[in-house]
Amino acid sequence: MDIYVLVKQVPDPEANVKVKSDVELEIENKYFTNFFDEIAIEAGLKLREKFGGKVTVLTVDNKKVDALRRGIAMGADDAIQITDPALEGSDPFAIAKTLAAYLKDKPFDLILAGRQAMDDDAGIVGPGVAELLGIPHVNMIVGLEIDDPKKELKVVREVEGGKEILSCFLPALFTCQKGLNNPRIPQVMNVMKAMKAQMKKVDLAALGLSAVDVGGQAVKIKVQKYLPPPKRPPVKMIKEDFPENVKQLVKLLKEEAKVI
Amino acid sequence: MSNEIWVFAEQQEGKVRRVAFELLSAAADFSKKTGSTVAGILLGSGLQEALKSLTSYADKIYLLDDPGLAAYTSDAYLIHMAPLIKEHQPSILLGGATSTGKDLFPRLAMHLQTGYAPDCTGLTIEENGKLIAKRPLYGGKVFAEMIYLEAKPQMATVRNNTFLVNQNLNKSAQVIPISSPIDPSSLKKKVIGLEKAAGAKLDITEAEIVVAAGRGIKAPENFKIMEELADVLNASVGTTRATVDEGWRDVKDQIGKSGKNISAKLYMAFGVSGAIHHILGIGTCKTVVAVDTDPNALIFNYADYGIVGDLFQIVPALTEELKKAMAEK
Ligand SMILES: Cc1cc2nc3c(=O)[nH]c(=O)nc-3n(C[C@H](O)[C@H](O)[C@H](O)COP(=O)(O)OP(=O)(O)OC[C@H]3O[C@@H](n4cnc5c(N)ncnc54)[C@H](O)[C@@H]3O)c2cc1C
Ligand SMILES: Nc1ncnc2c1ncn2[C@@H]1O[C@H](COP(=O)(O)O)[C@@H](O)[C@H]1O
Repeated sequence: MDIYVLVKQVPDPEANVKVKSDVELEIENKYFTNFFDEIAIEAGLKLREKFGGKVTVLTVDNKKVDALRRGIAMGADDAIQITDPALEGSDPFAIAKTLAAYLKDKPFDLILAGRQAMDDDAGIVGPGVAELLGIPHVNMIVGLEIDDPKKELKVVREVEGGKEILSCFLPALFTCQKGLNNPRIPQVMNVMKAMKAQMKKVDLAALGLSAVDVGGQAVKIKVQKYLPPPKRPPVKMIKEDFPENVKQLVKLLKEEAKVI
Repeated sequence: MSNEIWVFAEQQEGKVRRVAFELLSAAADFSKKTGSTVAGILLGSGLQEALKSLTSYADKIYLLDDPGLAAYTSDAYLIHMAPLIKEHQPSILLGGATSTGKDLFPRLAMHLQTGYAPDCTGLTIEENGKLIAKRPLYGGKVFAEMIYLEAKPQMATVRNNTFLVNQNLNKSAQVIPISSPIDPSSLKKKVIGLEKAAGAKLDITEAEIVVAAGRGIKAPENFKIMEELADVLNASVGTTRATVDEGWRDVKDQIGKSGKNISAKLYMAFGVSGAIHHILGIGTCKTVVAVDTDPNALIFNYADYGIVGDLFQIVPALTEELKKAMAEK
């Protein structure tokens, strides 16, 4: 199977992110490979172990290639960085366009992405790429069963109140989430190898795209203003001894917070 | 372009989700400012009850009742919705940030080449009909107010419990049946089954009240006391990644960065230490209660009310106390 995994290096959930001005953020330099993308990589590697073929990790980023390195360290065969100054300011739609332009003439069987990137938290790139390539997608999968890549496969997505089982043929695109698998921890040797690996670089011209297709010029929606999260009032500790504290809590929920 | 605000009236098994009523209520408010018509768009099969429940909430309902649409797939919904949107050109299209909304809207937005704000926690409108969508980024460490450029419709998915349902809209919608039979064999994927989760509780993203236990609950069977507490409050039971990784609870109940974001009216956490990864999932909850044996637990920094105590003592007592309080109502 020819599998492509879309990956992104994003600020670690523990990184500080603050509003610097209305239109600018200050992001602590603490990055990791998007949690859900590692799940996608793992899913790709498992399929390769079963059916043979190739797993290629793919990122659109002018600077950060550590997600590609992570992919290689985990076991991906190939890594591609799409990079171009004109990509600055791209939103998920533009990223999807760029990825689809790269993938459209590749002989892929399956494309895997994360449920969402832990920075923009958008969940747009996966379904967006599928739309542009005209292939089916299933979002937020927690199960994937392929017996034969040429035949109908089964995929499970979580819905409110249960799990839905779908069937479809390849080629398709799935976005992956927790519950699908537990990503492997790469061996130190492979991490070292990945540090030295050469990434293939691709620019926009090679994809037949130009500055008007991506970047700030292409956006259909934009940030007007960044805001800090709403502040909670300081905690009220209920100091009474048990069981008075429980009575007091119920009273507060009823009379002060008015939520029960 | 028409001056219509459309709400995707998502239904499951013929029952319209509450978030659709929340959005129709918000749309009714917006329309006072903009003079818009509010329309629901209802797709599925066997929709009599669903339709009935909606008519007082919208001025118009576009109805597509077709056996081929018994189960949601993005393919089938997109094939039907895209031409309808192109024909009527609504200025706004809203949907719930549900598993279906998050599956359909990004693809639809790409198809229509228009702007889409996912997973919003607030929406406002200006008199000229311009929507401002507020959404959390970086898991809720910052928020962004997003505005749309020229393309229409302005699309957004919105979290459950962002708006209140207004039961007194008293509209009587004009129903506009849509027919566009498609050849089911043209669809590239199909739903072949649904495994229902045990119990009848709402998903934690939908519930108005969520009670959660973390590793402090010590063993999977101890969640029984959480279920009992939840039953009194008509709440759903959430949890942390720690218990999911232990295999005690299903990942569908995990709150936080790698799980779900909840926007409950009341969230109560027991034996949850309050790691940032967890806290990011509760940022838009209204009232937060924390109970932990450790007075320095981080969770207290994010709570409105805190008790330092043993959950095995507090939870059963709280259940009893709430039973009394609810009986008094
Ligand atoms: C990339 C990444 C993503 C993550 N995503 C998530 C996520 O989505 N959601 C999530 O929850 N976590 C997530 N985590 C994990 C997170 O960092 C914490 O490890 C986790 O939230 C801790 O769970 P916990 O509070 O149940 O356990 P602990 O941190 O072990 O806390 C248990 C608490 O119970 C208290 N306690 C013990 N006994 C009692 C008792 N009898 N009565 C009352 N209190 C008691 C203790 O004092 C303690 O505060 C993520 C981590 C990473 C690295
Ligand atoms: N710049 C990028 N390069 C490659 N893949 C990406 C990029 N941005 C997002 N993705 C993929 O799309 C998923 C969803 O991203 P988003 O739509 O930004 O939330 C991520 O989990 C990745 O799999």
